[in-house]
Amino acid sequence: MTALVDAGLLADVQKFGAADVSACFSCGNCTAICPLSDNDGTFPRRLIRYAQVGMKDALLGSKELWTCYHCGECSDTCPTQADPGGFMAAARRYAIASYDRTRLARTMYTSPLAGSVIAILLAAFFAVFMYASHGPQSTTSLQLFGFIPEALIHNTGVVVMILVFLAGLAGIVTMARGIARREEIALHDVIGGRAALARSGRALWSALAVESLGQRRFRADCETVQDARPWYRRRWFIHASTMWGFLGLLAATILDYGLAVIGVKATGTPVPLWYPVRLLGTLAGLFLIYGTTMLIIDRLQKANRAASDSKASDWTLLALLWVTGVSGFLIEIALYLPQPPAWGYWVFLFHVSVAMELVLLAPFMKFAHAVYRPVALFFYTLAGDRSAAGH
Amino acid sequence: MGGTTERRVGVYVCHCGGNISDYVDVERVVAAIRDEPGVVVAKNTIFACADASQSEMIEDIQRHKLDGLVVASCSPKLHTTTFRGVAARAGINPYTYTQVNIREQDSWAHTDDPAGATHKAISLIKGGIARTRLTEPLEPLVVETTRKALVVGGGIAGLRAAIGLADVGLDVFLVEKERELGGWVGRFGTMYPHERDGRELIDGLVAEVRGRDSITVFTNAELMARSGSFGNYVAAIRINNDLPELVHVEVGQIVLATGFDTYQPESGEFGYGIDGVVTLPEFKAMVDASSGPLTYHGRPVRTIAYIYCVGNRQPGGNEYCSKYCCAATVHASIEVAKLPGSVHQYHLYRDIRTYGKYELMYTESRKRGSVYMKFPEDMPPAVALDASGRLMVTTHDTLTGGEEVTIPADLVVLVTGMVPRRNEELMGLLKLPVGTDGFFNEIHPKLRPVETVVDGVLIAGACQGPKNSAESVASGLAAVTQSAAILKKGTAELDPLVATVRAVACSMCGDCLTACPYSAIEKAEVAGREVAAISPSTCKGCGGCVPVCPEDAIDLRGYTDAQIRAVIDSMLEEPVA
Repeated sequence: MTALVDAGLLADVQKFGAADVSACFSCGNCTAICPLSDNDGTFPRRLIRYAQVGMKDALLGSKELWTCYHCGECSDTCPTQADPGGFMAAARRYAIASYDRTRLARTMYTSPLAGSVIAILLAAFFAVFMYASHGPQSTTSLQLFGFIPEALIHNTGVVVMILVFLAGLAGIVTMARGIARREEIALHDVIGGRAALARSGRALWSALAVESLGQRRFRADCETVQDARPWYRRRWFIHASTMWGFLGLLAATILDYGLAVIGVKATGTPVPLWYPVRLLGTLAGLFLIYGTTMLIIDRLQKANRAASDSKASDWTLLALLWVTGVSGFLIEIALYLPQPPAWGYWVFLFHVSVAMELVLLAPFMKFAHAVYRPVALFFYTLAGDRSAAGH
Repeated sequence: MGGTTERRVGVYVCHCGGNISDYVDVERVVAAIRDEPGVVVAKNTIFACADASQSEMIEDIQRHKLDGLVVASCSPKLHTTTFRGVAARAGINPYTYTQVNIREQDSWAHTDDPAGATHKAISLIKGGIARTRLTEPLEPLVVETTRKALVVGGGIAGLRAAIGLADVGLDVFLVEKERELGGWVGRFGTMYPHERDGRELIDGLVAEVRGRDSITVFTNAELMARSGSFGNYVAAIRINNDLPELVHVEVGQIVLATGFDTYQPESGEFGYGIDGVVTLPEFKAMVDASSGPLTYHGRPVRTIAYIYCVGNRQPGGNEYCSKYCCAATVHASIEVAKLPGSVHQYHLYRDIRTYGKYELMYTESRKRGSVYMKFPEDMPPAVALDASGRLMVTTHDTLTGGEEVTIPADLVVLVTGMVPRRNEELMGLLKLPVGTDGFFNEIHPKLRPVETVVDGVLIAGACQGPKNSAESVASGLAAVTQSAAILKKGTAELDPLVATVRAVACSMCGDCLTACPYSAIEKAEVAGREVAAISPSTCKGCGGCVPVCPEDAIDLRGYTDAQIRAVIDSMLEEPVA
């Protein structure tokens, strides 16, 4: 299969923050130093080559793009200062924008100003939209759903979820088709027959559980520069803490709603701190706040290669996550205060608006890596499994 | 002297470090030839060519009153001149020296058979002794030379050579086939590596030529015939005006700077013939003529694909590398990048040979965005039109592991190299040999780079082989030095190892006239009889005429029939081991 050259590819990827990798002469130092270069000895060099030549489909269809955790060893050893690690990060941004057909992601990435305006306007929209239906602010106890109706939040959330699901699915399909075409994997290779299903099941387990939730390679292979740091300051833990915190909060929210559906507890009913769902939410919130706070500190201190070149898109995601986490925690504090504070209502409105925005924008910003990376890792494991099986 | 008086010969057998003695039992060889007739001194030596060994030989020659010298060592190509010099410094005739090759033709060839190699060395040395015993003292031929030079070709090498020759005080005739002086460079715009305009360079050189009274320029002119001999040639020049005229000039040296042609691709070769597929010279002219954004037939050029090594380095075709084209193309791509508008440039190559300082241009072109893609030797790129009429170049990119890539291009540049000019007439009338590649051959690529086997005919520039303009000028100036070294002396010495005719025996059958590749033999009247006469200054001593003579009337000095017979007899004396 011949690859049709897109001569403007490199210039386009550069709009997403890549260094000018035209200086790269494929010496392979990056491959030699990379702790992940275990396939055919061409990672990450070959991906840079794709950009130089203009092989757009090859770049976007490369599952390897998403295996990198940007330890930065390659950039430190590159003799031409082409910054391979920075290039990989930029190529992932480019990929997120390319898998999205609405061009919203491209706009947010390539124009930080437009991105910021969209983010602020969207949060403001949600706030105004929900405030428009507001009720009284009870002063005897913090009646949050009296202020903003629960049904409104719920229904808005469902609409947002559906939109995100559709946009995310479209992106995943675009990406998966690109990789599958490149890897010459047909649908029946993935789900056709018992052996294929078993293989796919293993790959899915590896991608989701071992690598994504467990951060195996990030932890075992890519923590090369910070070995001197204590575990709670290492990149993988900070990242995992953020992810676990977010997932924990998502789970607590769904469980809380679930409890209401099966009639155990109405949403918003005051519960003690040890109540399991509340406990999960509290712990997850702490993880999220710790993770995002440390991520922000690392970026401010330029503590490592990945954190020393921060784009607007990095700050946007961190800011939204941190604000969501911290505002949620403030609400919890407000709930347990003996005297309900008036600010609790405003923080609640703020929290709900930002959380809605965070979810709605997820497929169009850095957040999208949370699904694209597991998809790529699925194909990565599948390819290893297939080659081991002699395909 | 001849064989009547016994000769006194010194024989030295060289170890050449261990190159010879590791396989040849040198001590045994010396013992075996010590008692050969005429041998007075027989020694072995670790390095015969070392200064100390040479001094020892001179001492031996003088103390033992030797009159012949044999050194058994390496190839005569390496050290004949060295030991002839030893003989001369010791006061004996240098042509009494014989070099015996027991390295290239013995020790190196028979590393598996030391006994056989030793036996062969003895035979070869006995033959050498026999030859030296029959040597006669010879003196170099001295000819007076005409202090004028002819330069054929008015390109950058010829122009620079003409100026150089004039500046050392020689009269110069410059012959150019075209109506204008300047050759290829005269058509070029900006050139590497100094970013000077080729036309300006040529204009400067032409002005210098015109400013020198001692240079006579014939344009629209061709060399038609050459007669005479080394140092005193007569050249016939035809000037192709409306009324063609023939001019004869006497010259001592002829410098050929006839240049090159560019390879012309076959129709269909890498898409040649399709609109938008051009050769490097065509492309260079396009770029030179552009000041605004690059266009081709009025259409903007946004993507260019260069295909390197077209017509070069092809097995069975032009196997050589033209070595200027990489740098010229890289330079042109930088010129394109400097033009307004952005052009994507893909260089599809086998190897990039921007040697020496030109490497910096390669780096610059990469910095300016050129993408270099190496294709495997057995998978050359293919050029075709797609359904919409767009040029598509398909290649394999080695650096992605050989993935197939198709580049939509507005222009495809075939980087064509140099081919020898088709000038059979010139080759014929000068008797100049060409290599298998068709370019004129020098005597020695390192040590005698501008001389040819025809004395007095020098080669400069790309007629000798692919060169860029800087290298062409350098070889033009080398030809100036070489010409001046001979012509400024007023006389020239020639090797006396030439063929001679015993006039009384000659029946003038004419066989030798056709056998001679150098036209050195002519009919002459001797004592009222027509016989063959050999011009000693034209004869190269190849010996081609000797065996064809039915009367045995021709002998080659230094290699007479008597000597050759004696060599054979001596070699056969040694029984086969």
